[in-house]
Order: sequence, then C-alpha cells, then structure tokens
Amino acid sequence: MAAKLRAPGFYRAGWMMVGGALFATALTWLVRMATGHSTFQHFISPDAILSVSLLAVPLAFLIGIGGFDYWFYWAIGRPTRPEDHSSHGAYTWKDYFRINTDHKVIGIQYLVNSFFFLLVGGLLALLMRAQLAQPGSHFVDANTFNGLFSVHASLLIFLFMVPVFAGFGNYVIPLMIGAPDMAFPRLNALSFWLLPVAGMIMLGSFFAPGGAFADGWTAYAPLSVNAPIGQTFFSIGVQFAGASSIMTALNFLVTIITMRAPGMSFFRMPLLVWANFATSLLVVIATPFIAASQFFVLLDRALGFNFFNAAKGGDVLMYQHVFWFYSHPAVYIMILPGFGIISEVIAVKSRKPIFGYRMMAFSLLAIVGLGFTVWAHHMFTSGMAAWIRIPMAITTAIIAVPTGIKVFSWLATLWRGVLHLDTAMLFALGFITTFTLGGISGIMLAMVPFDIHVSATYFIVAHIHYVLFGGSLMTIFAGVYYWFPKMTGRMYDERLGKWHFWTTFIFVNLTFAPMHVLGLQGMPRRVATYAAQFADLNLFISIASFGLGATTLLFVYNMVTSWRGGPRAVSNPWRALTLEWQVSSPPPIFNFDRLPTVVGGPYEYGVPGAVHGIFAPAPAPTVAGAGAGVVSAPSQ
Amino acid sequence: MEAASISHGAAHAGEHHGPPAANRSSRVEPALLGMLLFIISEIMVFGAFFTAYFFIRIASGDPWPAHGTTLPVQVAGVNTAILVSSSFTIHWAQTSIKNGNRFGLKAGMLTTFLLGCTFLFIQINEYANIGFAPQDAAQQTIFYSLTGLHGAHVFIGLLLLLFVTIRSFRGHYTPEEHRGVEVPGIYWHFVDIMWLVVYTTVYIL
Repeated sequence: MAAKLRAPGFYRAGWMMVGGALFATALTWLVRMATGHSTFQHFISPDAILSVSLLAVPLAFLIGIGGFDYWFYWAIGRPTRPEDHSSHGAYTWKDYFRINTDHKVIGIQYLVNSFFFLLVGGLLALLMRAQLAQPGSHFVDANTFNGLFSVHASLLIFLFMVPVFAGFGNYVIPLMIGAPDMAFPRLNALSFWLLPVAGMIMLGSFFAPGGAFADGWTAYAPLSVNAPIGQTFFSIGVQFAGASSIMTALNFLVTIITMRAPGMSFFRMPLLVWANFATSLLVVIATPFIAASQFFVLLDRALGFNFFNAAKGGDVLMYQHVFWFYSHPAVYIMILPGFGIISEVIAVKSRKPIFGYRMMAFSLLAIVGLGFTVWAHHMFTSGMAAWIRIPMAITTAIIAVPTGIKVFSWLATLWRGVLHLDTAMLFALGFITTFTLGGISGIMLAMVPFDIHVSATYFIVAHIHYVLFGGSLMTIFAGVYYWFPKMTGRMYDERLGKWHFWTTFIFVNLTFAPMHVLGLQGMPRRVATYAAQFADLNLFISIASFGLGATTLLFVYNMVTSWRGGPRAVSNPWRALTLEWQVSSPPPIFNFDRLPTVVGGPYEYGVPGAVHGIFAPAPAPTVAGAGAGVVSAPSQ
Repeated sequence: MEAASISHGAAHAGEHHGPPAANRSSRVEPALLGMLLFIISEIMVFGAFFTAYFFIRIASGDPWPAHGTTLPVQVAGVNTAILVSSSFTIHWAQTSIKNGNRFGLKAGMLTTFLLGCTFLFIQINEYANIGFAPQDAAQQTIFYSLTGLHGAHVFIGLLLLLFVTIRSFRGHYTPEEHRGVEVPGIYWHFVDIMWLVVYTTVYIL
C-alpha cells in the first residue's frame, strides 16, 4: 500500500489532492491574517479557499498521477535521460488510465475523453430543449437554464471540438509523416491529462454555491466579474484546457517540422498534416489571449483589480477585443483539422488525386493569416467605434474565399471519381452540404446591417450549429469511421454507420434550420422562455433535437460493439496510400520497424504505378513499383 | 528485427527494443524550436496585457501615471541595467562551456542567477514602497499587472537558471552537449528583452 501511495497513479493523486486543498486553505488563511483586520473581517473565506483550491487541487492531481515526474527528476540535477519508452503502449484497458507516452494511446485517450464530454454536453442541450419545448415552462429555473447553455457551450468547445481534433492529430500525424512518436512524448502525456481536469472543473461548477457560470461561454465582463463563484470555475477551467492545447500544438509543430520521414517534403505531406500544421500555428499564437482575458477576470474577481471597473477607469470593451482575438481564430481551430480529414476521406473514397493540392495547402495558411483580422465582426453591436465595422466586414467576406477554394476543390475531386459511398464518405458529403449552408449564413452575418438585425437571436444559434454540428462534428464522425479500423483493428458495422449518417443528417437540419426562421422573427437566444408566437417552431425543434440525441446512441452502440467484437480489420481496408495504412491495424507499438522513405505525393489514386512511401532502403524512384514492400496505387 | 536495426548503422546496432531513430527533417534542434514556439505564445500573453494597457492608458485618455502617483523611473532604470547585464553573464557561461571552461560556466550561471534574484528583490521593494495599490484605479491595475506578469516570468526564468546552475555545479554539460544551457538561456534573453519593452512603455513613455 505504501508503495502504491508513492508510485505515480490515482492513489498518489488522491492524497496529493487532499494536500492541495489543505495548502489552499492554509495559504488563504495566512495571507488574510498577514493583511490584517483592516482589509478582511474573516480570515477564513470559503470563496478564497475555493478559488485557490481550483488551481492547487488540479495541479496536485497532475503531480500525483505522475505528469511532472521527469521534470522534478531533472530539476534536482540528475542526468537527463531520453524518453526510454518504458511507459509506451497499452496492453490492458488500465494502461489508458495512466501517464502514457505513446502517441497512439494518447490519441485514443483524447478521443474517448472528448466523446465523453460530447455526450455530457449533448445531454445538457437536451435539458435546454426540454425547457424550451413550451413557452413559460418550469422544467428548470432561469438561472439553471443560463448555467445549462453556458456549460453546454464551454464543454463542447473547450473539451470536445478543440481536443477531439488533437486526438486525431496525435494518433495519425506521426504515422502519416513516418515518425516513431511525437517530438516531446512526456509533454504529450501531460497535455492530455489537463483535459479531464478542465472538464471536471467546468462540470463541477454546477455544485458551486450560486450555481454554474451563467453568462455563456463568452463570459463577458463586467457580468462575469460580478457573477457568483461558479464563474471562477470557468475562468480556471479554461486555463487548463488552453494550456493543454498550446502544449499539443507546440508538439505538433515541432514533430511536423523536425521528424518527417526521408523524402517527405512539405508538399508531399497529406493535407491532414497540413491542416494540423496550420491549426497549431493558430493555437500557439491565439490561445494566450483567452488565457489573459480570464486572468483579467480572475484578478478583478479575486484581488479587486480594476480591469473592467468603469468607475475606476477600467475598460469593459477591452474584454471583448481580447476575448474575440482568441475566439475568432478558435472557430478555425475547430474546423481546419476537419478540412484535413475531409481531404483524406474524399480523395481515398473517390479514387482520384485531390484537386488543387497546393491551393488546398495555401488556402489553409491564408485562413490562418486572415483569421486574425476579423475578430471585431463579433462586436458590431458592442458599442465600439463604428468605423471598425467596415474593414472587419470586408476581411470577413474575404476569408470566405480560401474556404470556397477548399469547397470547390473537394467538389472537383469528386467530379468523375469512382465514389465509394460508405459511412465515412457519406459524412464527408454531408459535411460539404451543411457546412456550406452554415458558411452562407456566415457571409450574411458579415454584412453589418443584417448582423445588427439578427444579433443575439436564434439566427446566431442556427449559424454556429450549422458550422459546428453540421460542419465540424460531421468531419469528426467521418474521421472516426475512417480511422476506426486503424485504431482498433476492428471493422465497424457499415449498415449501422449508414443509419447513423442519414438520421444525423436529417435531424441536424430539422433541428437547426427552423432556428434561422425564429431568429429572423426576432426570438432572442439565451432565454429560458419566449413569446407564445414562437411556440410551434420551438416544439418542433425540441422534438427534432431529441431525435438528434437518439442518433448518437446508434453511434455509441456501433462503436462499442464493434470495438469489442467487430470483424478483424486488414491493414489497409480503404486501399489508401498514406503511410498510416501501410502498417498493421492497429499499428505496432513503435509504428515502423524501419522508417519509410517517401518518393511521391500522397493522393496519386488512379495514377498507374504511383508510389507514396516505400519501406525498402530508398531505390531510385524509376524502379519503384517492382519488388516487395512497395506500395503502389491500386488500379481501378 | 535484428537485421532491420543493424541496417540503421553501427550507432544503433546494439539496441533494438525501442523504435527506429526518427529521421531528422530539419536542421533545427527540436528543443530549440519548441522553446521558440513557446516564446511566441509568451509574447502573445504579453500582447494581451499590452492590449489592456492600450485601452486603459491610450483609448481612455486618462492621465498616466494616475494623479497623485509617481513611478520610480531611476530605481527601475538601475534595475533594468541589472537585468540587462545578466543577459551578458549568461552569454559568458554559454561561451565558456562551448570552449570547455567549466569555471566560466559555473561562475557565469551563478552570477546570472544572483543578478536575476537582485532584480526581483528590487522589484518587490518597489511594490512595497510605491505608495499605491492595484485596487486603486485602472492605471495602477495595469501597472501592477504588466510588471507583475513580467516578474512572474523572471521567477520562472530564475527557477530554470537555478536548475541549470545546480547541474553545472554537478558536472553536467560538455563542449559537445550543452543544449541544457542554451535553451533556458534563450528564455532568459526573452525575459530580458521583454523587460526593456515593459520598462519603456510603462515607465518612460
């Protein structure tokens, strides 16, 4: 038992968390006592203890589970040791519940964790729809309703959309570029464990006195400064989730730049790798801004600073500028990796080279650049200087161009292709449809007069759910079905998968399309009840949303049963060229027995004799196509 | 498996329980690149705080510093000189280890660490004697926030320097292998340059 308490793991994390809470109590008590009675009436303050505990207890958990062990070992002056791969791989399910430095295990940890929060966040949405089924209903009270939509959005953005793509990236990128692992495996392991911590903090806010944080995922000041203690859960949860995504993005960038296989030049990289490269740039540059915005709120709340206190010269609008300078690029963080997934799926399933490969890559970089120039289009009605609206409207319209390039390139890839309409491909096609619809309402919102008309109405809710549910989530489903055989070594049930697609596609549109109408008619978002004239459509939306929730059960059932007992998958069921399909399913513990050499582009489907990677010591490209170990494009 | 590992070359002939060594597709050291990307993130954190500074000082048009307060420009100027000189001493330490001079490494690291501690000590004294608090008004808030954010970075940098100093006294680092001095050194230079920006904008302008 004593050994268990000392070794990294949940036992050690348990007593260390208790220690963290005691430390927080002692620290606040000492500080308040040192400051004296002139400032504080009571030396023991539950709010202060809770605020400090929210930082100390999660950190104690991370130390206890072993996330920092190596760095402590380094800090006391022991010799450095390269990652020895001793905590690599998963042999039982228990290996998914410890610090694991294998990128494939971490990828699955990320994905399963993200989908857990998808289900939780989805349940919160269903509770909201239950409340909104009829006007004036009392299923939940108004404050709880505010908490529901705030936690719903925060969980699905910070604990699902952003990390789920990091999960795909973790699993697939090292395999795709021919690397044995990520560049910093220990950092990678730590970056995962920050996420369940962040999620538990956000969910825990429901148990805080005064209820969960209730001012939306945007947490505008000064509302957030004066809100009950639940708001602190949001501010600190975001710090953990943000730190996690910065660490992962940094790891991706270093891995992609320094660990590509011989011959894997930048313009031979699969577009998923390009997409994650672009996304990681966004994350590294933008995420510090939301961290800072929440620092400001925390300092105002906990220490009485005046960032947002207008009476003492603070500037409330500044919060929105800092917040959206992250959160607009964040919407690209939530869709660019999805673009990468769609490029993979569409090229493989239509058996054609991707159309305009270089333009696809450049348009990603263009979105990264332009993404930083449009943030104030979220603030047209905020009271900022009116002239800023026009340049922001123009840049917003311009950013549709690189996105349009991608959509038309996918369509051109499909043109005269040999389409394999299996589940992954159906989701890819469904994505193009709904995402384009969401993109069009986005262009409408870029126009200042229209935006002012529908600002803070259900039109915004419709738009965001068309691009995030109809867009990002469809790419995620496509990715899950596409890489499921590679990750688990099993095939999923194709029939159930198709059912899942069609029901999802229909119910997404039934749920979110009527919201456009409600918004145009003027129904405000983020309200627990509404005028009687909106009753019919709301009842319809609520019924459809329960259908949408039910489709997820199909997905979960398919995934669980197929993972447990699906038929064994061959190494390359889709006859794809990219490197992850050239190893067994699931891949060997160290990915490659010998590193591949890349001799051609990744999407040369239907090109006779085309080769992407070979495992033999590099011969001249002219003789490739003969000999064992050569991967050539399967002919039609 | 044995045959495969041999074909990777003599350097790896004996070891085959791990993965094949990754191909190095860039001349940049991974640790160095990671630190540079981290510094980009750090610059953006400061960028957000400078955005707050811009709104509170420039967009609002309120007086700077607030009425009835003065900023100790000279004391902070001496402090600036102390921090800048620490950038030179860490450079001395790095050059020494490259040339195999262990005394220079140890003396340079120790001097840098002590200079950094002096900077932080003077900064804390400044807070204690400056005569206003962050709770007073927005100008004071942003003064404390920017200098405090920088102070937190000095603290993190000092921790790194402490680890490096301990390691250099314990005999780590060689003329061939001194990344462990280089990479924290870059961070220290960043902290130093950032202070010049903070000092110029907060105290002088």
